[in-house]
Order: sequence, then structure tokens, then C-alpha cells
Amino acid sequence: MTMQIPGSEHFSSRPTNLDEITSGLPETLEVHTVTQEQIDDLDPLTYEVVRHRLWSVTEEMGEALKRMSGSPIVTDANDFDFAICDELGQEVQVGLYNTMLAGAVDLAIYWTLRNRSHNPGIREGDMFLCNDPWVGGGLHQNDVIVFQPVFHEGKLFAWTSAICHEPDLGGVGLGSFSPAAQDVFSEALPTPPIKVVKDFDLQDDVVDVWIRRSRVPMLVNLDLRAKVGSNTVGRKRLEEVISQYGADTVKAVMKRMMADAEGRLRGKLGELPDGTWQATGYQDQSHEGDRGVHKITVAMTKQDDHLTFDFTGTDPQAGMINCTYAGMRGGVMLALLPILANDIPWSAGGLMRCFDLVSEEGTINNATYPAAVSRGPIGPAWLTGTLVAQCLSQMLDRSADLGKSVQAACCGTWDTAVVAGLDERSDVPTPFLNVMMEPMAGGFGARPEMDGMDTGGLFCIPMGRIPDVEMTEFLYPLLTLWRREEPDSGGPGRQRGGVSASLAVTLHGSSQPAGLVLASAGKAVSQNNGLAGGYPGNTGLDAVARRVDIGQILAEGRIPQSLDDFGGDVEIGNCYAQSYLAPGEVLYMNWQGGGGYGDPLLRDPHAVRHDVVEDKVSAIAAAAVYGVVLTEGEVDHAATGRRRAEMRDERRKRSRTETRDRGKLDTARARRIDDNLVIDGDTVGCAHCGHGLADVTRDVSLGLAIYDGPSTDAGPQVTSDPAHYVDEVIVFRQRCCPGCWTAITSSIVPADHIDSTEDVSRIGVAGLVATQ
Amino acid sequence: MAYVIGVDVGGTFTDAVLDDDAGNIVAAKAPSTPPDYSQGVMDVLAVLAEQLGLPVEQMLADTHHIAHGTTSSLNALVMGNVPPVGFLTTVGHRDSIFIMNVEGRYLGGSPDQLQNVLGQSKDHGLLPKRHALEVVERIDRDGTVVVPLDEESVRTAVRRLLDADVKAIAVSLLWSFKNPAHEQRIREIVHEIDPGMFVSLSSEVSPRIREFARSSTTVMSAQIGPGLRDYLGSLEGRLREHGLAGPLLVMQSNGGAIAAAEAPATAISTVGSVLTGGVVGAVSLGEQLGHRNIISTDVGGTTFLVGLVVDGEPVRTSSTIINHHPINVPTLEVHAIGSGGGAIAWLDKGGNLQVGPRSAQSVPGPACYDAGGTEPTNTDANLVLGILPEAGLLGGRKALNLEAAREAIRLKIAEPLGLSVEDAAAAIYAIQNAQTGDLLRKTVVETGHDPRDFVLYAFGGAGPAYCGFYAAEVGVKECIVPLGPVASAFSAYGLASSDIVLASELSDPGQMPLDPARAMENFASLEEQVRSALERQGLDFERIELVRSLDLRYTAQLAEVAVEVPAGTLDTAAMTQVTGDFEQRYAELFGEGTGFSAAGVQAITFRVRGTGVLPFSPALPKVDSAADPDPSVALHATRKVCLDPRLGYADTPVYDYRKLRAGHRITGPAIIEVPTTTVVVPPEMTGTVDHLGNLTITTRN
Repeated sequence: MTMQIPGSEHFSSRPTNLDEITSGLPETLEVHTVTQEQIDDLDPLTYEVVRHRLWSVTEEMGEALKRMSGSPIVTDANDFDFAICDELGQEVQVGLYNTMLAGAVDLAIYWTLRNRSHNPGIREGDMFLCNDPWVGGGLHQNDVIVFQPVFHEGKLFAWTSAICHEPDLGGVGLGSFSPAAQDVFSEALPTPPIKVVKDFDLQDDVVDVWIRRSRVPMLVNLDLRAKVGSNTVGRKRLEEVISQYGADTVKAVMKRMMADAEGRLRGKLGELPDGTWQATGYQDQSHEGDRGVHKITVAMTKQDDHLTFDFTGTDPQAGMINCTYAGMRGGVMLALLPILANDIPWSAGGLMRCFDLVSEEGTINNATYPAAVSRGPIGPAWLTGTLVAQCLSQMLDRSADLGKSVQAACCGTWDTAVVAGLDERSDVPTPFLNVMMEPMAGGFGARPEMDGMDTGGLFCIPMGRIPDVEMTEFLYPLLTLWRREEPDSGGPGRQRGGVSASLAVTLHGSSQPAGLVLASAGKAVSQNNGLAGGYPGNTGLDAVARRVDIGQILAEGRIPQSLDDFGGDVEIGNCYAQSYLAPGEVLYMNWQGGGGYGDPLLRDPHAVRHDVVEDKVSAIAAAAVYGVVLTEGEVDHAATGRRRAEMRDERRKRSRTETRDRGKLDTARARRIDDNLVIDGDTVGCAHCGHGLADVTRDVSLGLAIYDGPSTDAGPQVTSDPAHYVDEVIVFRQRCCPGCWTAITSSIVPADHIDSTEDVSRIGVAGLVATQ
Repeated sequence: MAYVIGVDVGGTFTDAVLDDDAGNIVAAKAPSTPPDYSQGVMDVLAVLAEQLGLPVEQMLADTHHIAHGTTSSLNALVMGNVPPVGFLTTVGHRDSIFIMNVEGRYLGGSPDQLQNVLGQSKDHGLLPKRHALEVVERIDRDGTVVVPLDEESVRTAVRRLLDADVKAIAVSLLWSFKNPAHEQRIREIVHEIDPGMFVSLSSEVSPRIREFARSSTTVMSAQIGPGLRDYLGSLEGRLREHGLAGPLLVMQSNGGAIAAAEAPATAISTVGSVLTGGVVGAVSLGEQLGHRNIISTDVGGTTFLVGLVVDGEPVRTSSTIINHHPINVPTLEVHAIGSGGGAIAWLDKGGNLQVGPRSAQSVPGPACYDAGGTEPTNTDANLVLGILPEAGLLGGRKALNLEAAREAIRLKIAEPLGLSVEDAAAAIYAIQNAQTGDLLRKTVVETGHDPRDFVLYAFGGAGPAYCGFYAAEVGVKECIVPLGPVASAFSAYGLASSDIVLASELSDPGQMPLDPARAMENFASLEEQVRSALERQGLDFERIELVRSLDLRYTAQLAEVAVEVPAGTLDTAAMTQVTGDFEQRYAELFGEGTGFSAAGVQAITFRVRGTGVLPFSPALPKVDSAADPDPSVALHATRKVCLDPRLGYADTPVYDYRKLRAGHRITGPAIIEVPTTTVVVPPEMTGTVDHLGNLTITTRN
């Protein structure tokens, strides 16, 4: 069903003109605000003191939520967030947990002000609950927000909110993930804002309606109370701050925090070169049974102190891999907050004024109702973030100062596995449902001067964590055979991408087959491509070892440590699949590491040796990808030199080149464009050998040598066969300098992938020439 | 005559306090002497003996015991100055300590560090991977052996570690706290191969569920165990040579001491000892002053430490964070921020004024020390505001350079913000007070208490200049500045006042209400462990107190709440009562109605804490009384001081503490110069000298 359902537009919230919201409010709902003069009159002293206070209010809200929640997704994986907003819902301070949610909170409050202020009214003592991703608040139905208006002397003063991911809210699939979903009606029911607390009382009828839909109603109930409690903590603390400093002062500080964040981001943008940068990425498969590749493309234009993200050209919504507008906006925030705002307070309301979004309705990252969106945050929103990060990195790579924030792509998705079955370890067997949390331990992308962080986590959840094995085994009838960092899973490069980890679990204490739902992208195409010639990190791989009797193997005193050790059939899971895990069988998951930075042939051989000693890189990959020869554990420099020369020669033999002579540049004199390119006069050349590539007055392309080969050519980190997942031809594509055969880009993409690497105008060379 | 001596070995100074059990207290100070801190201990003991007019040998011969707190183990861990250690764990799980549950990337970070993901790293791993090896074995959550221990795999791994020349081996297997047999067998095998090897077992160091924290705790304990053993061995040897007959005790993070010989086996329990001395001192002083609820604030050059005493008992927590690792050490809960006297004031990129967490430390120190520091600190602001005299502290009389302080504030803060130097200094002072106020509120409120029910104690060199303000900031009515003979060595006084405290714990997760028999069995075995450990201390106790507690949570929550469990026989009613107490405590912490018993309540960790009460309670001596409340006999000077930007600089009386007597009453604004510190009595507050020489600041009438 691709047609938008008439009437559903009512629920699509967008950033909006705030005056329009104010003028639509009933007379009975007075709002508290301050004048620009009051904001300007704040002394630095008071501003700083009250700002500190607001920070500690949000922090206390987060602590309270975390302590009270009963869901491991919150308590052990930190997939939640919270915010303080001004009277109209602009975000003054957001938490440090799931940063994508910052793109959605204000949308829900705008919508509520518009559609709930007359009927049933917005009053002191109310709290609203919402899990409608079109309205906002969260990115898919499992993100449930509870938000509350805070009043001061009868006027609406501010809003607080707490959101967390619920393990299950019904629908046909376990954990509300239905891999086969074609529309939202197979998923959890979206619930627009509804009053769950009235006159400070939790409304039992609403609570019952709410929890009834879930497979784990008790956890959902506990989490609901945790969110109510967290908001209560926020309200009380905010009231204390107001009583100490006065409402006008506190409000002036809130407004100034947003203006300050906005001003600082604009200042930073103003110092960067203007230009347009592009990135295109893919999700392989849209739902169970699909064999397609689905594209998101973005062109980021920086003009003066403003950014525009134009997603025109993104594929139409499909299957279950869609997100709403809130997801697209959240995806932008996921990249923008840590990369551009790492040293600016996260007053998201101010930061979001610095960019516009351009997008066609009905696409996979701006889906219309009734598209299925349960994969929203971890599929399309995340990919949006990864692509935005790629654009930002290309822009920042041009600045010596800000270049330290440049980063190749990190683990590009949340590899989902939901296992649900019967726990027979006590006298009364009880059902269980576990979303495997280990894939939180993804690898980070490499950076110009440092390796990516190994099992650093997920870039969009700064404070994510994974549970201890013992806690998982205590709660669920599972036995973890291993949980380890995977050598070679980090993208090879001059700086290596961070490694990811793998997991093998089997049922332990259950005689019944458990249901298994798998959902993940990045198994055929890469979502964790490298930068500046660095290679992609590993492709993901989920599999079940079938027809294995693990009980027998353990009884023999063996604990298998690789998929091959089980001796059964290895059934490779599709990106989206509904399956089962029978007693004795083993579920294996290997999620994504980070992409590399720079050509791996340029990596310090001693760093490679160290990686081999520390089990980050296998000896095989050291030789095959890095060209480093180790003899008795030590670097053989002569052999390494020979091996690397041979590898460059292999690149020469396998690549297509065009005949072009643009002379030789003096690299010492030429000006840096990025890690691989320099410019001298009108000539762009290779930063490594000075080989002239293009004359900007007559060439439209850089004329790099190009190679398309099987994805396994990227190295041993590619553990899957793309043909298993999709029909499109997927290739390892490498572009090299035809002079020294240093890799300029290395990626795993569909054969028809178009990018702007070759395009002279797209890399902004014209601007550089003009300013020389 | 029997003495008790407390010795506190800090990074810069070693402090000592001696109590003669007859109402006299003597304090002494000597420079610390890294790397062999025992020399500094001997030096400070010599100073004490000199003050008593006795030879050291005679003083030590008459000493009942020495309680010793040391920062050296903690420093060794923080600086990474530890010997190579091997790690053995269950096959398939070696990388747990490297994956660090991901949280190792950010644990313990400040808010600005947490936000800056690109500034974080995981470079603080406990040990290289090649020193972490796996053995074949598996136990499940019920303690059942799924795969027996493959002893050959153990021997192979141990030999590899010995070849790598490790100095200790940490062993942490999955579920070992449920069934320690495999860990114990591994130790036997290690000792078959190398009888002298130091081995730490997770089932002994930290028998608690969650393998990452348990393994980190065990590895760190193994890293400091051999060093602590050598240090204490050598110190005890020197003390015996000089005639010490009584035991040498070592302070632990839990606020109680342990015999030196017993300490290395669970070395990790001693790491926070210097942080807790002050809280123990506050408890002891509180007993003399009749205070049951105390906020203890200890402000040094680098850090601001806060501890809580509720109903006469220090607030405890079951874990802490060291080097971004969660560490299972029962400890007095002490919160710290980088907001000491040397904290640097700076402007962030948006022009927001910030104070700390970076400190000018002792080198180069604040700008006014004239030792090369150019960054403005709290101390510089205090000098500009007139709180500190240019002449320097009474005791030290090291002159301070006002011009250097003004220049630093002008260049770094005042000019960029468009403020006068004086206003900029006032802003730094106010931010410092607000920041510490926030930490205090967080500390008190998060433990479910109301600051208005507390008195506040302020010690450490930099605390008394601020305490009136930060006490008022959180609504505390009364603030005590201990100023008697122990003013500069309050932490050592705490050590001299401490009893022996030992704790044992065991995770045995299950649904409440637990079978009372199972709970009884767990507590009985823990009580037996604690009793026999107390017996091993070689001390005579006045009495032994045992307290049971149980960590509970609603099903699947991450955080547990500790609840006391009654002594004696437990029946079903008692277990129901425990659940009820948990729910009540939970509501106090998080608000009425936030609990949800339908989700079920789980018991996680059983704990018994035993206190061996020593027959000493050092009391501070009384000071002479003043004839009347008028303090003018002690008036030392009058100078312009700015304590409130709205009031500006005002003529403010400055008193010499040495001339104050009990009963003197000082009306703010006023400054009191003490040899080791400076006290501010803010405007509209009063300060009264009590019978022990402490100053009580009343924040409102």
C-alpha cells in the first residue's frame, strides 16, 4: 500500500512558525515568555549559574529514568533520552543517550499545542503519552515519549519529556518488529498524544489501554511509571530553580542557551568553505522476501553559516525500512551533534535553526502513512545520519583545525535479533522475550590521526552499553558460548577502523524452539565505508547453526569457538527474516566495525604488527590487505616493501585508466585539498606522488584509475556473498592515483552506484583556485 | 598510657594525629616521600614523638595501634604504574574486559567529556590482550558445571603467563560467585607450578554478579596486591624495629580498617582510603557535637569531596569507578568534582565562564603564587576579592602576588567578558559556590534526603572560604568548621577514630519473597566469614556488630537498592517485611507511585558488614571560654572585601583565630584567619566558637 491514507496528513508534524502556534492557543492557556531585552540583560554570572542548574535537572531526570526502568534496553543499553523544552516545545537541553531522539521531541509538543490545547486542554498536572512517529517524540512506535507541561503561576512555562524504547508493544512480530510488514497495520499501533496523567494522577483506564497491547505488559507498565517519575523529578527541580531565580530569569536563560548554541554553530560554519558535498548509501532488502537495494542520497550545501540537506533522489518508501520526517531529522542530528557540536552545549532547539531539510514525501526517509516504519531509527534514519556524517567529514577534511573531527563511517546499523520462547528453569515455565543487546558494541570509524575505537559502541548513542553475559543468562534461558572482538572486522586503512564483535548463544533451560526475528542491513552492501581510500569495515553476518546438538558437544567437554566447529549446517540469515532457534542450535551474530581512513598500504608496519599481537588483525590480513610481512612475529621490512610494491602493481594491472598527461606537481609547494589531493595553479594532483591528475580549466573529471571487482576483494572482513541477499551486482570499487597507485576511494557499492569522487566541480576545486 | 595514631599518606603531605586516650590530641605533618612512602611515615612519627617529648621507641611501645590511610595504591592505578598481571577467564569471554560493556569509553566522565564522543577513547585497558588467556570450563547461572575444568588448558595458559613474566594472576570465571570450585582449582594449579605467585580470585575479591565489574575489580586488586604487600611488609618491619607492639591497620574505602597482613589479599578494598578519612572524622566529631545528619565537605587544592552521614552512619555505596572501570568495592559514598582552590577559571568557546575541573595543582599553582602560573584560579579570585590576605596564610606567611592574580583574571576572563577585574573575580566566586551547591544538592537529594535536615562540616584548606555560601545555597542552617588541633589533619583524625570494618558479600539472584531458609543460609555463611576475618585481625574488640543487607530491585532493573535485613531467624514474614522496606525506600528515592510491584522484586546480592568496635574514641580537647561574646580582642585588621557583587567591596573585620575563645560571636561579613586556612562569615550570617574550638556559622536566624 503506497497511497497515503486520506486524513492521515493531520498527524504529520513539522517544524513550524511558532507565532502561528501561539495565536492558535485558547485564551485560557496563557504562556510565559520573556522579551529580547530581558534575554540581553542577563549577566554572565546568572546565565552561567542557571545554565548549570538546568543541566543538572536533565541529568537527574535521566538518572531517575534509568534507575526506575525495568527494561534492559534502558537499564543496560541506554536507549532512551529526555529533554527540557521552552513553553512552545523548543529543545533547551537534551540528554546524552539516544541523540536521534532530539530530532523528534519538539515535533510532538508542537503537535500537542495545536491539537490538544482546546480539547481536552493542556493543564497543570497533565502528562501526555505518545508513540506516533508521524507526530514525533520518537522515531518508531517502540519509542514512547511521556511529556509534561510545567506551569508557573498559571502560565505554561516549559515542557519536560522522557522517552525510551519499549521491548514490545504488540503487532504481528516479536518485539513489534515484523520483517514481512508492508504497512504500519502489521506493526505496533501508533498512539497520538493522550493524557496519561491528569491532576497529577496516573489514569488507570489509559494505562490499561496502553499495556494491553504488549507481549510484556508488566515491563511496559514499569517503564511508563519510570517515565512519569522522571518527569516528576524534572518538574520539581525546575520549580526549585524558578523559585530561587525567578521565572523570567530562568526563561531568559533558556532562550539564551538556544541562541548561544545557534550562534556558536553558525560561527563555526562561517569559518568553513562553502560548497556542496554528496553521499549516497543503501539498505539491502526492504522486508522479508525482498531482494532489492534501496537508496538514500543527500546533497549537503553549506552557504555562509547555514546548511541545507537535500534528499531529492532518495528511493520511494518500501517494505519496513522507512522512517518518518522525525527520523530524517533525527538522522541529521545523530551526525551533527557529535561532529559539529561536540564543544557546544546541546541546546538542540538552537542548533536545529541552522539547517533546512529538503525532501520528497513518500520516500524511505520521509515516509507517509501507512508505511511500515518499525525499522525507522535503526535503518533509514541511521543511514541518513551516516551519510550526513560523510558529507560533514568531507567538508571538515578541508579545514586543518576542524579536520580532527573527521571520521570514516561507524557501524552503520543496529543488528537486531529478537529471541522469544519459554523459560523452563523454574517450577512455573514463563514466556521470555529478549532483544539481543550485544550489537551495541559496534566499531567506530577511523580518523586522520587515530584508529577507530574498537567496540566503541554506536555513534548515535553516546552513552550506550551492553549487558553483562551473566545478567542476560540470569534473566533468559540462554548460554553465551562466546562474545568477542572479531579480528579484521575494522576497515583496513592507514588508520584502521574499530573492530566489532561477534556473539554465539544457544538455548539453555528451554526444551521448546524459540521464535527468532532478524533485522539488519549492510550484509551485501557496506554501510561502514572508509574515507580517503580507507577500506570498508566488515559486512554483517547473522546465521543459525542448524541440526547441532550443543548439549552433546558440551558434555564432551568442548566449547566450540567458531561457526565451523559446530559441525551442523550453517543457515545464513537474510537481512529481514522470521525464523526459529531450536534447542541445541546456535545463533551467531557479527555486526559491523568501522571504516578505515587512508590507504592501508600506508599504514605503519609496526602498528600492523601490534594489531596482530592484540588480535585486532589476523596475520593473513596483515599480508593480504596491509602488505605487511611478519617473520617470527617481527616486521620483515624488506619483504614488506616488496609485497607492497607488488600490491600496487596488481592494482595497476587490474584497473581501467584513461590516457592523460597533466605533468608532475611539487607536493611541497602545492596546497592541500584533502588527505589525498593537492592543487598547484590550475592543476590538481596526487598528494603522495605529485602525479598531475586534472587541469581544472579543462577537465571535468579527476581521471583516477578505477577497478570494480567482487566485494571479497576488499579483504577478509567481507564474510558474506552479496548474491545471497540481493539481485543487484555488488562490487568492491577502488579508485587509485594512476601515478603511484595509492587508493583514493575504496568502497563496496552496487555496480550502478554514482558518486562525486571523480567530479572536479563537486570537490569545490573552483573555489580553491579562486581564493589562491 | 595507650596511644592511638592515625597516619594519612597523601600525595604531598603525610599527616598524623595521636590521641592519648586522656583527652589530649597532637597533630603533625611531614612531606610525603615517594616512591617509598614508609620514610614519610617514620618522619611524621618522629615529629609526633618530639611534640610529646618522648623517644619514638617509647611512643610506639605505648601505642595500641596505628591506623594508616594511603593514596599510593590509587595513584598507582590511576597513573598506570603497576606491574604486569595475567588474567585467566572462561573460554569465549576473554574480551569482556576489552569490550568493557562499551561503557568503559565514558564511565566517570564529566558532562562535557560525555558529550564529546570524538574526544573519548578506550586506551585505558587493564592489560594487553596477550596477557589475557582463556581456560576451558563453563558453569551456568545455577552454579551447575556445564563443562568441567580442562586442567591441561589451565597449565598451558599459566605457563604462557609465567613466560611473560607476570607478577600476579587474576582469575575471573563466569558464575564463579555461584560455584567457586574452578577458580579455586586454578589457584592450586598455579601454585603447583609457582608457589610464590600472587593470585586473586574473583570469587573471593568480589563474589558479585556482572562479570565485567567483577573481572575489573579482580585484575586491579592483583595489580596493587603485590605492591601493597611489599610496602606494608617493609613499613611494618620498620615500625617493629622501632618498638611498635600493637598492630598496624590499613584504612579501607568502607570507612573501617583492616590488619596490614590481611590487606593485600583484597588490596582493592583499600584504594579509596584517603577519601574516607574525613567522613569518619566527621562521624566522630558529630558524636561529640550531637549531630546525626552531616554533609561532610573536604576541599583541597584539586578536588571538592562530599560525603554524607545519615542518622550517625556514613552513607555507603557498593561500587565506584576507577580509570573508567566499574569497581566493586563497598565504600563510603564520596562524590568528587574538580572544584578545589586551584581550579582554573576559563571561558568556553561560547564565552561562558567555567570553573574547573582542570586545576593549577601545586606546580605551577595559582597565578598569585608567583611560580609561573598564568591561569586564574579560585585562589586568585579570593585574593582579588580580599578574602585572602596579600600577606598569605598566618601559618605559612608566604606572601601572595595580588598583581599577578589581577593580571591573570583580567587577561583570561574580565576583558573577554567586558567585566571589571573585580566583577570577574566575583563571578568566579559565585560560580564556584553555585557549582558546589549543585553537587551538594545532587548528593543529598539523590540519596532521598532533604538538605535542610543536615548540618554541614567544612574542612580542607579551601573549604572554609566558601562553606557559608554553599551551605546556604542548599538550605543548610548550620555549618561547622573544625578548627581545633586537628584542623589541618582532619582526615588523619578520622583514621585515629576508626574501628575495624569488614564486609563479605555474595550474589545469589532470585525472586522475592525468597525462601527464608536460603536467605538464612547465605547470611549465616557470610556472618561466619566476617567473624573469622575479624578474629584474624589480632585485636581486642569492645564488641562486634554485624549488619545484614540485601540488594533488591524490581525485575530487570539495572540499579539495586540496598535494604537492611533483621538479625536472627528469618521467616516468611521477615522476607515480606524486607520487600516492603525495599518498596518504601524506593518510593523515598524516586517518588510515590513510581514503584511497580507487579513486575516482581528480585534479590541480587547478600551482604554482611561487621564492625569490630575498638576501645578508643578520640575526643577533641576543650578550649577556654571567653568572658563575653564580643570578639574584639581577636580583631586583627580591617580590609576591603567583596563577598557579594550586589554589595561590592566593604570594610570587613579580620579576626585572628588564635585569639578567639569559646563563646565568641562574630557577625558577618567577617574573615577569620586561621594558621592553615581562611574562614569567611558571609553577610547576614553569624559565627560562634564552640567549646571544642570549632566555628559554627549560622546561615539564617
